[in-house]
Amino acid sequence: MATRTVTFEIKRQAGPDAPAVWESFELEWRPGMNVVSAMMEIAANPVTADGKPTTPIVYDSNCLEEICGSCAMKINGRARMACSALVDNLEQPIRVEPLTKFPLVRDLQVDRSVLFENLMRVKAWVPVDGTYDLGSGPRVYPQEQEANYPLSNCISCTCCMEVCPQFNEATDFVGAATIAQVKLFNNHPTGKVFKEDRLRALAGDGGIQECGYAQNCVEACPKQIPLTNAISDVGRDVLTQKVKDWLRG
Amino acid sequence: MATVQSSAVPTVRRGVEPLRAGQGTSFIWHKLHSLLGIVPIGAFLLEHLLSNFEALKGPVAYGEQVRFLNSLPLVRVLEWVFIFLPILYHGIYGVYIWLRGKSNIVYYPWAGNWMYLSQRYTGIVAFAYIIQHVLRQRFMGIMLPEHPGAAFWKVQHELANPWMVAVYVIAMICVCWHFAYGVWLFAAKWGITPGEVARRRFAYVCAVLGVLLAAMGIASIWAFTGPKYQNAPADVRLSTLVAPAHSGAAFHSIGSQLMI
Repeated sequence: MATRTVTFEIKRQAGPDAPAVWESFELEWRPGMNVVSAMMEIAANPVTADGKPTTPIVYDSNCLEEICGSCAMKINGRARMACSALVDNLEQPIRVEPLTKFPLVRDLQVDRSVLFENLMRVKAWVPVDGTYDLGSGPRVYPQEQEANYPLSNCISCTCCMEVCPQFNEATDFVGAATIAQVKLFNNHPTGKVFKEDRLRALAGDGGIQECGYAQNCVEACPKQIPLTNAISDVGRDVLTQKVKDWLRG
Repeated sequence: MATVQSSAVPTVRRGVEPLRAGQGTSFIWHKLHSLLGIVPIGAFLLEHLLSNFEALKGPVAYGEQVRFLNSLPLVRVLEWVFIFLPILYHGIYGVYIWLRGKSNIVYYPWAGNWMYLSQRYTGIVAFAYIIQHVLRQRFMGIMLPEHPGAAFWKVQHELANPWMVAVYVIAMICVCWHFAYGVWLFAAKWGITPGEVARRRFAYVCAVLGVLLAAMGIASIWAFTGPKYQNAPADVRLSTLVAPAHSGAAFHSIGSQLMI
């Protein structure tokens, strides 16, 4: 019986300013293989489809169960997590490219630190650090937990930002992930101490007003986070905050 | 040496800058653009389409409507403050928003993404149409504020050109589309419909609104081009005894009878 194979076309780039080239790889099919496991196999035997030796592909990945958020890349034209991209569900040849909206490091690895910088700028945390024991936090009712849990699922993969037509170098839009985290931490009984700061931050240039409501974010999100609901809710809160600030002078 | 090397690699992308938390004024300009689309521009669109609908009753009724609108107090101020300037701002800032967005419909052909694109194309068609419409119908040819009786004739004369009819019909659909989806977007972005079900329901409401307005608009175009009022006189006689807009309709109708 002839062995079944799978074909990959992977966009390679040796560095940020190096030219991009496409390389083809032909691998033996295995049950349950995904894009990350395929690249592990390429690393074990880095030879292209036409028998030319090459270097292993550089990419980010860690947990392999869609929970760490590091292996986001463009697969067959769409931003998604490579670990949950099962080869059996993909059209061949499987074309793999790096995310396009972030500075490239090498091959499929990009620098997504803008998201972490954005999360810092909106204070997306619960402030509990101190020099003494603050005691137990306020009670969070099950109904609130239920509303907030989906938002807490964000894995910072940046897929929502990659697919957003407004997230680019002209707008410097903050992106859906950060807005959803503002909603999450504003809902938290301790986290809401920074509520006004977060809302004012999101009214800055590149803030929530840049959203064009194309709703690609919610389509692309691998964790099904209700991002468009969050943008709507936070949009109202930011506006209310600005009006309050204006009237209070 | 180092400077020479760094200038040799300008192709490296800087990437998207982080949020400028609390800095800048773009928030207020975006929100103004968004609000103006509803009031006064959307409100004016409704008024305009309702007034146009009078054309179905013929040249006299249409002329009366034009005269009524021009009899509003401070009408020239109202016209500039609530119609021309808001539309100019909404249009120019809208183009600016469009230029800064980067559509990716080729990779992500999803419904919301199509609507995002449609809002930009219908917007530019509407803006281009409105500019020529205002220039040709308000600032060129016979002046309707002074000669409201010529209103029907002026529009009919414009629509005598079949190409112009096509322009008007296409623009009517684009304007109503842009307005209907704009209302939906406004509700979504200002937090009026934060729930998915609410947005879906409101989408039906907006779709019905858009179709209804476009149908009304096209019916009005038909009033000018159809067989019923062919070759309308260049200036119909309106009732000479003009009642102020706020006084009773009875007096007005007496005036019309006296004229006969």
